[in-house]
Amino acid sequence: MSHPSQDNAIESGRLIRALIYTLLIFFVIYYLLPLWVMVANSLKTLDEIRGGDMLAPPKDITFEPWRQAWSKTQIGVEATGLKPYFLNSIIMVVPAVFLSTFLGALNGYVLTKWAFRGSNLIFGLMLLACFIPFQIVLIPMARILGMLNLAGTISGLILVHTVYGLGFTTLFFRNYYAAFPTELVRAAQIDGASFFQVFWRILIPSSGPIIVVTIIWQFTNVWNDFLFGASFSSYDSTPITVALNNLVNSSTGVKEYNVHFAGAILAALPTLIVYIVSGRYFVRGLMAGAVKG
Amino acid sequence: MASLTIDKLIKSFGAVEVLKGIDLEIEDGGFLVLVGPSGCGKSTLLNCIAGLEKTTSGEIRIGERNVEGLHPSKRDIAMVFQSYALYPNMTVRGNISFGMEIRGVDKAEQENAIQEVADILQIGELLDRKPSQLSGGQRQRVAMGRALVRHPQVFLFDEPLSNLDAKLRVDMRTEIKRLHKRMGTTIVYVTHDQIEALTLATKIAVLEAGYLQQFGTPDEIYNDPNNMFVADFMGSPSMNLIDGTLVERDGALEVQIAGHGGSSISLPVPDGAEMRKHVGGPIVFGIRPEAMTDPDGADRTSPHIETRDCYIEVSQPAGSDTFALTPLGGKECIARFRADARIELGAFSPISFNMTKAVFFDPQTTGRIR
Repeated sequence: MSHPSQDNAIESGRLIRALIYTLLIFFVIYYLLPLWVMVANSLKTLDEIRGGDMLAPPKDITFEPWRQAWSKTQIGVEATGLKPYFLNSIIMVVPAVFLSTFLGALNGYVLTKWAFRGSNLIFGLMLLACFIPFQIVLIPMARILGMLNLAGTISGLILVHTVYGLGFTTLFFRNYYAAFPTELVRAAQIDGASFFQVFWRILIPSSGPIIVVTIIWQFTNVWNDFLFGASFSSYDSTPITVALNNLVNSSTGVKEYNVHFAGAILAALPTLIVYIVSGRYFVRGLMAGAVKG
Repeated sequence: MASLTIDKLIKSFGAVEVLKGIDLEIEDGGFLVLVGPSGCGKSTLLNCIAGLEKTTSGEIRIGERNVEGLHPSKRDIAMVFQSYALYPNMTVRGNISFGMEIRGVDKAEQENAIQEVADILQIGELLDRKPSQLSGGQRQRVAMGRALVRHPQVFLFDEPLSNLDAKLRVDMRTEIKRLHKRMGTTIVYVTHDQIEALTLATKIAVLEAGYLQQFGTPDEIYNDPNNMFVADFMGSPSMNLIDGTLVERDGALEVQIAGHGGSSISLPVPDGAEMRKHVGGPIVFGIRPEAMTDPDGADRTSPHIETRDCYIEVSQPAGSDTFALTPLGGKECIARFRADARIELGAFSPISFNMTKAVFFDPQTTGRIR
């Protein structure tokens, strides 16, 4: 990425380059400014924040707001900090991401390599699910969770997120597997491999990039979801996004902006880390899925 | 090892009939090549034999066993694919042993089998590499190794050489022929390359538009084609199919062919009841380029050589021979001259027609007149 390659366009004039860089630097600052405000203010004391300049760096750095946000501050009625809700989110996200990714891969495999009469119609309907606004399904979903006795539980949230993730994960895997040579599947069949043996031994080992894309996509969406969390969770299954909202809204008289900033960063951290760790696979995998689909 | 019999095989995809009643039989240890232009149904036929496509009707027997409804892995066949279809995530060793692993063959036996095919194909030093680290020719060998290790009754090859460069293709062709001699296993081989068909096969099936056009030995297909399609498709450069008129003169039959300008030539035609029906009508005179030569290059063992003056327009030296183009019957015809034959362009030169090699077709039905 950092080295010029043969793909580079022919060098244009210096003036144009300067212009391009100025513009780019401007936008980098523009986009990073909120992050800076959050980080800087989460390290300030409340007095210093009240004192004025939001953009100024902290004078004497304190980690107390972070400690507060993590384990001490008042959320709703209890002073537990964000910790238990962070754990709730982890317990919800991991199975939901795993299940929706696995089922998406299986769907993609069936829709491309075992296509049946009407398989395209089914795929079309699943795609449609990607574009249905979540609000529409809130009430039917609440009814179903109630019928399944999962209302207000983390298992219920896992189910909701798995179901709503399937449209996208199926789309990703279907497009990826459409470009996967069918001859390989046939060769494995002649070798005597069963439906699942072909899936586990041939397709999954070749699916690295698209698995990474799907995991990032699902992780980010499920972690950041607020609507389902707010609608379908109870006090002991609340995910962190909802808890963060409660934190900011719980008033004990004083608005602790530094704690709010620290809490917001805590809530955003996992997705940020996932993206930094595997971001380059994301773009690559997304391209692989998109171009060859 | 086993024979393979195909009986009135029909395959349709929805309303489209791709194979329209194919009858074939190849003896135990034979080498059957299915050849035809793309879209003729040859790969579909191979997939039906492999069990990768369901047949619509008809029967396929391997040995004495009807394989209808049997899963590909139960048919005792092995297949080499056009793209080689090597499992990209496994080493060469893993690729070769995958089938044995699935069948639960024990480790020591697997290792023996791998060593055996590695020796035959000389891929011993490649065993621990991934397919992406192999060249095209090496991949081809591994793909064959994966097929060999099964010791199948029938080998199926689906255009296995079409992804190789020209030189490697010739080498691998020889290799496959040698392998066939050594193993003696029945082979069914699909190609669109008629040279591959002629060099490899003990029997050739020429397919076109879902019909079996001709089924016979390479010699029969080349020298005794059933119809104009087979005559034109097999051989390179292909057979000259010259439009002429059949006439009777002094009790003997001859074909009159328009040449350059207003000139024409006539050549004697073997008499027969079938041929006589066409007297006074159009006829197609088929002759291969190598049966149209300069007089000194004519086949001296042939009992029937006719020499006529023809107008030579263009010559194409090809190293070992020189091809001379002459207009006959309104088309450019190719004659094959010796490389050092003197050719005068834009003038009439004598060309010797080896009439024992000539064949005649009915232009209406495109069928052979015998």
